[in-house]
Amino acid sequence: MSLQSSFIQIFISHIKREFLINFRSLVDVISIISFMILIVILFVLGIGPFEEKLRLVSNAIFWIGLILAIIPSLEKTLQRDYDNGWLDQTITSPTPMEIILLSKSLAYWLIVIIPLIISLPLFIVLLDINLKLIPWLLISILVGGLSISLIGIIGSALTLGAKRGNILLPILIIPLIIPILIFGVGVSEAVRINESPVGNLFLLIGFTLIYLVISPFISAFLIRIAISR
Amino acid sequence: MIYLQNVTIKRGSKIVFYNWSAKIENSKITIISGKNGAGKSTLLRTIAGMIPLEKGKIKNYNNEIFKDQIKWGQNLIYIDSKNGLSKDLTVYENLKTWSEMRGWNTSDNDLQKALDSVEMLNHKNLYVSQCSEGLKKRAALSRLYLSLLFDVEFWLLDEPTNELDQKSIILFNKLIQRFLENKGTVLLACHELKLFDLNYELLNLDLLKK
Repeated sequence: MSLQSSFIQIFISHIKREFLINFRSLVDVISIISFMILIVILFVLGIGPFEEKLRLVSNAIFWIGLILAIIPSLEKTLQRDYDNGWLDQTITSPTPMEIILLSKSLAYWLIVIIPLIISLPLFIVLLDINLKLIPWLLISILVGGLSISLIGIIGSALTLGAKRGNILLPILIIPLIIPILIFGVGVSEAVRINESPVGNLFLLIGFTLIYLVISPFISAFLIRIAISR
Repeated sequence: MIYLQNVTIKRGSKIVFYNWSAKIENSKITIISGKNGAGKSTLLRTIAGMIPLEKGKIKNYNNEIFKDQIKWGQNLIYIDSKNGLSKDLTVYENLKTWSEMRGWNTSDNDLQKALDSVEMLNHKNLYVSQCSEGLKKRAALSRLYLSLLFDVEFWLLDEPTNELDQKSIILFNKLIQRFLENKGTVLLACHELKLFDLNYELLNLDLLKK
């Protein structure tokens, strides 16, 4: 009877759980995207009717909008499961915490990225993004988005149980996100001035891989501390 | 048999147990009693592996339990007042995701039976956010039935009867009885001792700590 499933099956089933929870109450997903749209609109209106000016900064606005829109929702990724006792259940189970956290950050990445890609045409129109940039923009937000969610899990684990976690969290994670912003914008900027974006893209992928390796271990360690309190 | 050997347990900066030894018998219920703040939950959470030991050892027979956390995790179920239910999922989905998280391949039939064992089958499609506290507790306790199928040896339960009505307590007693027949060990923190019509060992923290 005791047919045990492999870590990969556990991993996939946990991603399914996250999807079920997040897409049932669409509030979080919609708030991320609509917040991002608002930030972008504010920038566009602030710059005024100067196409040239907008083109110079459009990539940066897109990335800053993405980062600012994601940050408020990051805190909840672990806080909810901490409050309802799910993390207690995972820590007293035979499944390593690291696997649960890796699946959590991948799930969060997909949950943010899918609506973002659907709403991408809107941003292209708003920011007057050149069509030849779009494939590169898509690749860089796919890779960079994964980084941001991996960093976000670390920040979320760090502020578990802390009062005012929502203020503490951005202060802690924005320094880690800076390289992602620089190289993410760098990819699109290189294409815009007709240079090869490959170098920036590889650096972006490199950073993502580093975070992919360290994030689950660091956050699992932090969660154990939070739970033992 | 779980042996606690000269354990010192701290919660924050407060020492809850100092150089304390005890043993917990196998295939029996041990009820941990004591006044509020005596350390019932701390003791359970320590044995479950959530609070690290300051000093001392906890052994299951001759094996130190925290040497192999994965193996220890296979052996125990821990349920406390937080229940570990996501309020955006239904009762059934919560049980399913929980068993998948532990790596158990449970059939739909097993899950139905588990819910039936605590008479939650009628409420299986109810969202946890709509459940009363008693229903939530029963949904959490349905995991105990699944653990009977998967060779779990220990149940660590922190005040499981608080929200339960008379009928649910009878169902809960039945689950415990089945577990004891399977050579399982129950460790239970509880105030009301008269709820259990089974023989139990008593671990009174008020007496032991003096």
